[in-house]
Amino acid sequence: MEAVLKVANEFGVWVCAGALVSVALIQVILYYRQLFKAAEVVEVSRDDLKLAFRTGAVTAIGPVIAIFIIMVGLMSVIGGPMAWMRLAVIGAAPTELTAATLGAEAAGVEFGGEGYNLQVMAVSWWTMAINGAGWLLFVGLFCHKLEDLREKAGGGNPVWLGILSVSAMLGVFGFLNSRYIIKMGGPLLAVIFGAIAMIVLVKISRKVPAIKEYTLGIAMLIGMFAATILS
Amino acid sequence: MTVEDRYEQIWIKPVIRIGVITMLLAVVLSFGPLAYLYIVHGILPDWPTALAAWGLVAATFGAFYIVEPVSYYPILGLAGTYISFLSGNISNLRLPCAAMAQDVVGVPEGTRKGEIIGTMGICGSVVVNLLGATLAAFIGSWLIGILPEIVAEAFKIYTAPAIFGAVFGQFSLKEPKLAPFALGIPLILLYLNVAVWIVILAAVFGTVAIGRVFYMKNIIS
Repeated sequence: MEAVLKVANEFGVWVCAGALVSVALIQVILYYRQLFKAAEVVEVSRDDLKLAFRTGAVTAIGPVIAIFIIMVGLMSVIGGPMAWMRLAVIGAAPTELTAATLGAEAAGVEFGGEGYNLQVMAVSWWTMAINGAGWLLFVGLFCHKLEDLREKAGGGNPVWLGILSVSAMLGVFGFLNSRYIIKMGGPLLAVIFGAIAMIVLVKISRKVPAIKEYTLGIAMLIGMFAATILS
Repeated sequence: MTVEDRYEQIWIKPVIRIGVITMLLAVVLSFGPLAYLYIVHGILPDWPTALAAWGLVAATFGAFYIVEPVSYYPILGLAGTYISFLSGNISNLRLPCAAMAQDVVGVPEGTRKGEIIGTMGICGSVVVNLLGATLAAFIGSWLIGILPEIVAEAFKIYTAPAIFGAVFGQFSLKEPKLAPFALGIPLILLYLNVAVWIVILAAVFGTVAIGRVFYMKNIIS
């Protein structure tokens, strides 16, 4: 495994990873510029755009700290460049680890175990890439069709479209939370306190608009804090 | 030109073009490390093993390739979807950041203004994410070393549920009558051990369907 990780950390692999991370960065820059042009058409002010960017950035701090910690753990398992590449772009750690493990299984070896040589690592890398490609290809090829679908479902009714969006969001997060609720224990506490904290904070922010940007970040911390202390 | 046409020209068309090119480029570059292994070390997986591995992941994740983009699209919008599926970490990072940007600026969801603002929020999250990941790659181990164990553990285990709870709370305030269904449907289905991809679809489209019914009956507006 040591020898295998040495290869995984070679400079050439960093370069390959860097290429993909650059594409993600370039994509954001291109969209960022396009957003300013589009904002004029729909009458959104530049100040609002900057506020939106800042809010997104601030809200991202908490989750990115978690991603940071997870990534460092992942680095010792699949090497720095691959962890960087898969977590800055495309992946979530559990998905990537599962893909790498399934790849090893297909080669008849336990991931990171005996017999995990360069040949098997190549299969793990292949599996992660081909798995990620599934999402990339579907979105790349069919995303514009989803826009058509949304317009049909919305039927040009802005009130219904708003309700549709909120319902979809509730459904997604209802699902995500239900997995943790079923697990019980610490994660359940995090969900409950995160939710209550957010509700309270949003109500406060209606009177104190200055904290609006930070409500989600603070609620998240409260949820984590409560779960850590009480479990 | 009407506003419709201008929106099409200035936003929709370029967004699709940028999106398709970057996503397809990303597919190709994903195999970069594998190509490196072959060119420099002469290693290539043999076809039967590669196909077997592909079969395993496709069976495990295949449904999600389709279910996730379809489920998240109403909130992420066109550009938001391209960005989020390239940069990943959608439920714990992109969705919350898009939703917060919309709330803080004060634009309704599902509108064009909402999409522009939400997408900008996602851009903010991508920049912070790329910075954090790059930092981790280069000084991660050292920084973790000086962080107290209990803090690192808390971040690792509790960030996701805490943020999921918080976003659920945020949206429950908008449509409190729908919240119980959004939680109840997946809870019951998971308890019954239904396949996960079906649970996502049921939770999302079930809640949307109930939303439709409530809207038509004027229970919500």
